[in-house]
Amino acid sequence: MRFLTIPGVIVAFSVTVIWAALQLELSPAMIVGESMQPRAFPILLMVLNIVLAGLLAFQYRSTPPKKIRQEGLHAWGSIALFVVFYLITIYVDMMIAISVVMFAMCLLWGERRIHVAALVALVTPAAVFLLFDLVLRVRFPRGLFTNWYYG
Amino acid sequence: MLDPYLVFLILATTVLGVIIGVLPGLGATTGAALLLPFTLTMEPVHAIAVLATIYVSATFAGSITAILINTPGTPAAAATTFDGYPLAQRGEAGRALGIAVVSSTIGGVFSVMVLCIAAPMLARVAYQFRPPEYFALALFGLSMLASISAGGTVKNLIGGVFGVWLATIGAERATGIERFMFGNYELYEGLGFVPVFIGIFAISELLMQSEKVNQVIETIKMKAVKLPSRDDYKRIWKTVARSCGIGTFIGILPAEGATIASMIGYSEARRWSKNKEEFGKGAIEGIAGAEAANNAATGGAMVPTMVLGIPGSGTTAVILVGLMVHGLRPGPYLFTQQVDTVYQIFGAMLLANLMFMVIGLYASKWFARISLVPRQMLWPMVFALAMIGAYSLSSSLLDVWIALIFGVIGFLARRHGFAVAPIAVGLILGEMVESNLQNSLKMFDGEWWLILTQPLAALFLAFAFLGLCGPTIFRWILKRGD
Repeated sequence: MRFLTIPGVIVAFSVTVIWAALQLELSPAMIVGESMQPRAFPILLMVLNIVLAGLLAFQYRSTPPKKIRQEGLHAWGSIALFVVFYLITIYVDMMIAISVVMFAMCLLWGERRIHVAALVALVTPAAVFLLFDLVLRVRFPRGLFTNWYYG
Repeated sequence: MLDPYLVFLILATTVLGVIIGVLPGLGATTGAALLLPFTLTMEPVHAIAVLATIYVSATFAGSITAILINTPGTPAAAATTFDGYPLAQRGEAGRALGIAVVSSTIGGVFSVMVLCIAAPMLARVAYQFRPPEYFALALFGLSMLASISAGGTVKNLIGGVFGVWLATIGAERATGIERFMFGNYELYEGLGFVPVFIGIFAISELLMQSEKVNQVIETIKMKAVKLPSRDDYKRIWKTVARSCGIGTFIGILPAEGATIASMIGYSEARRWSKNKEEFGKGAIEGIAGAEAANNAATGGAMVPTMVLGIPGSGTTAVILVGLMVHGLRPGPYLFTQQVDTVYQIFGAMLLANLMFMVIGLYASKWFARISLVPRQMLWPMVFALAMIGAYSLSSSLLDVWIALIFGVIGFLARRHGFAVAPIAVGLILGEMVESNLQNSLKMFDGEWWLILTQPLAALFLAFAFLGLCGPTIFRWILKRGD
């Protein structure tokens, strides 16, 4: 039954989208005219996706997919760091979040020299921040660091 | 074209493009997606020249690592490893790189010349296109996703359909009805292309690279790059000429790119060679065939991108977004209303091809060392660039979250053998498919089958059908013949 996992996920996603599309408002006939309702096109796409998922299941049945090698700490740890990045950005500051995540990512991926990881995590965001702030005039969201920087 | 600032910009970007091309995992598409936010304050022509130069130079630079460390810097250089690395192992790395540089330059220059001639001609034809033709053309572009290199036919189509669906998020253009926004009004204009691209190309690659940190990279030492000898030229000129044609033609086909071009260029070089037994052991025709074809595809891929608004590859999808971000509307009118801009972009590509030849000949040795940058330092830097870049376009944190979410989606997709380029192409073509279908239905009073009565639309739909079912029908015929 392993061959049904991925097609099953695709079908479940498509059915969810079709359900969500059916909840959309209907546009008055005088606006739509002979064209289609806004819900029609996404439904059409998802029906197509279900057909393609069926074909994929058929393919997987004759040629089972290769067993996916389980990712180790690096990939899932990096995804966990994205969550940390989100939390620090929301509650502290985006630039600080980038530095913290970069530092942690360097260590997670195997950098043993803490001073090198710290240097990379401080210099890169600082350089990119200054470039975007001074040259490209991008204002970053307010937080602990940007409040101090912007005043 | 003689604008000194533009020339300086192309030179600097060529160096940057070569660096991007040799860095492990970073390629033309990821590089262009990461650099797009940096071009925001530039003049449109400068911005597109920067992106086009990255495309051209990173595509070439993939060959440096392919030859010296047996790791293609970009997928398009995969075929170069077959003979480039064995030749380098025999102590002829300089010769291998020389052949790669010269073949790439010839391929690139040839394709820019074809671009200069073919694009305005195609634009003239495209003036006659109405909604049915554009709808059929977009479907043809999507059908070509079936045959792009990674993934498989069905998986690529699923990715393409998912991309088209992503384009429906936001307010529907004709009626203003909100679709799949779930109360988030920042999505009213739809999903931003830039954060999605940064997510699926850069962040997903970051996660893929996280599992390769322990890979040991060893580079082959060499003294200097050698220009091909007269005998070398005699051996490769036919291969280079053939690959120029193949690469440009493959590039022009919607959604096909340099990777397929280089594979076909390589296999054709082998098929026509008198020294077939040398292939895989360091045949110079193998290097020339792959390299001329992959760089010839760069100019070819710009033809449908600029004339029809249909990206010819993942990188041209990013360039297309660059055109839109800078207020240039891809399509035939670009060739009448912004003709100076168009030719400056073509000129920039030509100049980039010549500049990477100089850089390739004199500095390949040094650039190869850049590929030894530890992944545990490189990819956290990419993370910083990606996050700040995703934020900067609309100064919106939502874009940062979108980049992260699509990074994880892209990673999971790639883990299960799905390519991410079809999602990007689908996202770009989504609006074109839906709006032209709606307009066609209005034109024909809801009778959709009348689209088939339009000769050009019917031709594109026939091509789409052949693109999807042709290989299966062909295999079936062959089977019956047996």
